[in-house]
Amino acid sequence: MSAAGDAPADDAGSPPTGLRFSHVSVAYGARAAVRDVSFSVAPGEVVALAGPNGSGKSSLLRAAVGLAPRTAGVVLVGSSEQLPERPRERAVRVAWMPQDEPGGENVPLEEYVGYGRYARTPQWSLPSAADRAAVLAAIEAVDLGEFCGRGMAELSGGERQRARLARTLAQEAPVLLLDEPTAHLDIGHQLDVLGRIRRYAAERRLSVVVALHDLNLAARFMDRVAVLSRGRLVAVGRPSEILSPALLEEVWGVLAELRRDARTGEPYLLPRLAPPVGEVRPAGPRRRVHVVAGGGSGAGLLRTLFEQGFDLSTGVLPLFDTDTECARELSVPAAIELPFAPIGDDALRHLDQLLGAADAIVVAAFPVGPTNVANLVRLRSWVGRRPVALLAQPPGARWDYADGTATAVREELVTLGAVVLPDPAAVVGWLARLGARPPT
Amino acid sequence: MAAPLDSPALPPAALPAAPRRRLVGVGLLLAAIVAAIPLSALIGSASLPPDAVLGILLHQLSGGAVGAPCGPVASTAEQCRVWTEVVWGGRMPSVLVAVFVGAALALSGGTLQGVFRNPLSDPYLLGLSSGAALGASLLLTFQIAPANSATLLPVFAFAGALVPGFAVYLAASGRRHSPETLVLTGVALSAIFSALLATFLFYNPAAGLQLSFWLLGNLQDESWLRVGIVAGAVVAVGAVISLHGTELNILQLGRDVAESVGVDATRTSRRLILLSTVVTAVAVAFTGVIGFVGLVSPHVVRRFVGSNYRWVLPVSGMFGALFLLVAWDCAEVILPPVVIPVGIPTAFVGAPFFLYLLYRRRSGDP
Repeated sequence: MSAAGDAPADDAGSPPTGLRFSHVSVAYGARAAVRDVSFSVAPGEVVALAGPNGSGKSSLLRAAVGLAPRTAGVVLVGSSEQLPERPRERAVRVAWMPQDEPGGENVPLEEYVGYGRYARTPQWSLPSAADRAAVLAAIEAVDLGEFCGRGMAELSGGERQRARLARTLAQEAPVLLLDEPTAHLDIGHQLDVLGRIRRYAAERRLSVVVALHDLNLAARFMDRVAVLSRGRLVAVGRPSEILSPALLEEVWGVLAELRRDARTGEPYLLPRLAPPVGEVRPAGPRRRVHVVAGGGSGAGLLRTLFEQGFDLSTGVLPLFDTDTECARELSVPAAIELPFAPIGDDALRHLDQLLGAADAIVVAAFPVGPTNVANLVRLRSWVGRRPVALLAQPPGARWDYADGTATAVREELVTLGAVVLPDPAAVVGWLARLGARPPT
Repeated sequence: MAAPLDSPALPPAALPAAPRRRLVGVGLLLAAIVAAIPLSALIGSASLPPDAVLGILLHQLSGGAVGAPCGPVASTAEQCRVWTEVVWGGRMPSVLVAVFVGAALALSGGTLQGVFRNPLSDPYLLGLSSGAALGASLLLTFQIAPANSATLLPVFAFAGALVPGFAVYLAASGRRHSPETLVLTGVALSAIFSALLATFLFYNPAAGLQLSFWLLGNLQDESWLRVGIVAGAVVAVGAVISLHGTELNILQLGRDVAESVGVDATRTSRRLILLSTVVTAVAVAFTGVIGFVGLVSPHVVRRFVGSNYRWVLPVSGMFGALFLLVAWDCAEVILPPVVIPVGIPTAFVGAPFFLYLLYRRRSGDP
């Protein structure tokens, strides 16, 4: 690797190499795009640059290659060497792949990738054997070997994207800055390309910064994540250390849950859906809704209400029921009973507590049998104290396995004031209409 | 990289096929130019026996070693002297100036199309040619030097062409510009320069300023000195421009990518625009304004050699040479015995081609 000349040998005691942003600010006229950002990337390390659109990711990367006006700070490569101003000298130290670029001329793939050798080939001279070897290595690294000799216009969008990556790799710079390298790629190629970047960086001890929108890909492939928000660095660290629902809500304005991949232990984020525009969201203090369900009937309802921002509780549910799993995943408190056992006193006491804390009660369309009929029976004493809605049972379907008790109790609840609603959307509307917290 | 790469993944015959076809095409083009030069010398307002013309060429080219001075055709010594003067002193310089000016304009057009990333670019449409003509006409109008000074005309033409050159450079650097804005800027500049040129004519009618010569191109009054100057300029500048093929290819990916791989986009663009201005100025100084050669040639050439600028630039030069030579032949034979300005046949071909490009662009076809 010709970059070896720039990077000191990797023995102990050598000065830290790699890439360092030190108090970098970027401004376009009066508009500041990046403010006082500092972090560094060690050789062999891949760091994701995350942040919402317009948070300054691209500007920071562009500033490093002299394409955006840096108003303060320095970008250092190698052992505290400031990046040179002249494009030719800079290109051998930092390679940059833009988010997008014009189509360009229909040159053969290897000539296109050879553009990356421009700064390494003496002016007016033909490419050397080393240039050709670097080009082929870069093409192999992105697995485009079979396309040698083909024109760029003949490649598909994904192949062109990989060709652009190869061009960047062919620069053999110790620092790689990749702006959304997985844009335009399908999920298979996203995984493939990020995996290759990872391996290539490790093999060649490159310092890599990847601007990436997909936080899950970042968590999976990156050593560290640097999060920008409105031009400022708000977090930097290992994905498992810094990715949190709070960060997501603060930076992206997204409500999400953080899960852990059971196989890798890496975190991944599961965003909640934003309520459709114009829909009423509960105002004031978030209201608590208790969902009575079972047999998987409540999962859809729980998810809908969860995404609408309601505080939830549920039960009594049997352990291992689908609804129980759903409640667990959404961290919804639930009153639990053992499977196939009648609901016991402890569970009923827990249910009463939950119902007491709720502002409204919704009953899913669940099959009722001897073990869980107590759920319905218990509601008789609550129907006057809390608003209660029953989801309509699907017509024709058998749901009462409790010898008519369930049907009778259900009808009684309706006469006592419970409303019957057709679907979860109607429940959302009903809850919105309930308005403020009722006096207890 | 023109040299085929030794890749194990490469099917043996995949790469060489296209370059071989390209080389054959370039060979045919060169052969056509070489053949067209003596054939063009046969054409002229005075009708001379063809074997006499070829005999004169052979005799002169061989330095008097081969054949009779006027070929096998018997004639008086006086007639032979006149014929030799017509063919060797008049027709051949015109033919060769046509070849080199054609090459100059085509090279300039190809370069400008690359620098501005604009398929509608051409030294004529961008106003470089009329700027050069205006500069040259200053020399004649104010009789700054002996009229038609072969050495000073190109200098003045260059000075004149710098004005529109700089203007279109600024227009292209502006944030909001489309290919159409750039061309319309050039057209507006052209109109101003042409109006000034006409004003000069009326200001000093005795200056020998012929409006039709300057505005529509003329190859009638050429000399070997002019051939030498144009040829020298075109070969030298053309070689330097052609060496920038890779840079132009990279610039097609946008300034940002170019800078990131190490091309100094600003300096390279300026240098190439300046070189285009130089060849355009030398061409215009001796032939007036000839339109569309620079627009048509690179586009035709791309059909055959692809869009790689390392090929497009030199091959455009060759095609432009042939194009202008044929146009010149047409100019001589369309309305005999009158020789019409050579810019007329090039416009007949080039202007419809320009419209074709314009509407093809509009319809979204690349």
